[in-house]
Amino acid sequence: MLIPRRVKHRKQHHPKRGGAAKGGTAVSFGDYGIQALEPAYVTNRQIESARIAMTRYIKRGGKVWINIYPDRPLTKKPAETRMGSGKGSPEWWVANVKPGRVMFELSGVSEEVAREALRLAMHKLPMKCRFVAREGGDL
Amino acid sequence: MAQNEIRLDAALRTEFGKGAARRIRRDNKIPAVLYGHGSDPVHLTLPGHDTMLALKNANAILTLDFDGKHELALAKDVQRDPIKPVIEHVDLVIVKRGEKVTVDVGVHVEGEAAPETNVVVENPTLSVEADVLSIPEWFTVSVEGLEAGSQILAKDVELPDGVTLIADEELLVVNVTQQVSAEELEAELEAAEEEAGIEKEESDEEAAEGESSEGGESEGGDEESSEG
Repeated sequence: MLIPRRVKHRKQHHPKRGGAAKGGTAVSFGDYGIQALEPAYVTNRQIESARIAMTRYIKRGGKVWINIYPDRPLTKKPAETRMGSGKGSPEWWVANVKPGRVMFELSGVSEEVAREALRLAMHKLPMKCRFVAREGGDL
Repeated sequence: MAQNEIRLDAALRTEFGKGAARRIRRDNKIPAVLYGHGSDPVHLTLPGHDTMLALKNANAILTLDFDGKHELALAKDVQRDPIKPVIEHVDLVIVKRGEKVTVDVGVHVEGEAAPETNVVVENPTLSVEADVLSIPEWFTVSVEGLEAGSQILAKDVELPDGVTLIADEELLVVNVTQQVSAEELEAELEAAEEEAGIEKEESDEEAAEGESSEGGESEGGDEESSEG
């Protein structure tokens, strides 16, 4: 599972999310991809689950790219704890994904196989997504 | 190979800023700027639909009619909305007939490599120098019968006459790799699932199997779930 090896600060502030992706909005490595249509925090488990779903479907053909990295720790206070006494302990690692971001890419398979593999992967992700193809690709 | 010139009726822009740009976009037009060859930048408005169709061809040469003049231009940068299929702004660079320009041209792969291999296009575009009126639409690379471990470098790509390679000659374009064995893949996925504590979902398995055998009845319960 993707997890940072070493971080400067264990806990981060949790500001409001907003805006659209500034970069990484086009398919640039593979032929097809999954694009986020809503903002969301994607956990490393969700990323891994999506990767496994598509890899299992495409079997041995094709190559998968993951364009997001869960480098943001989210904290949680234990259940039934009174408020105060400092920030909770890190619980999840998430990627801050904004609308427009291409999160996964796939190449080396036909369009039908890619569509189905990416559809299965989309069900593992916490936001609305869509299938996209590379501009100027073989479509 | 040589592309047809695409003619667009442009209009000079007199008001600037985001308010004016948004008014232009609301009228289904695209704000653009034209510069190059030492001339002052000219701000233009382009027809939305025609420009969108024209820019579907990579490296399209546009003939712009504005203010009683005709100017040949190449799209240097196209800003698109990250979600909506809308072009927000186009940077056009003036080109002259007979001039050589540096452009990125796509690589298309054809043919079937040897069985048990994966063909990965490592660099889908190549930077080349070509005459402005004969920019190739794409380069075709054949991987027919290539064995695992074969590589196609930029210098191996066949270029038409008058086109010279600008990219590094040793740039890897296509890489043919050996597929992992079914057992290795299954072991890797099992280990990944175990590490992440992910329970294998029946629907995924069925979907994969159903597709390989005949396809059909597989999906169902998975439609509603939003996360794994």
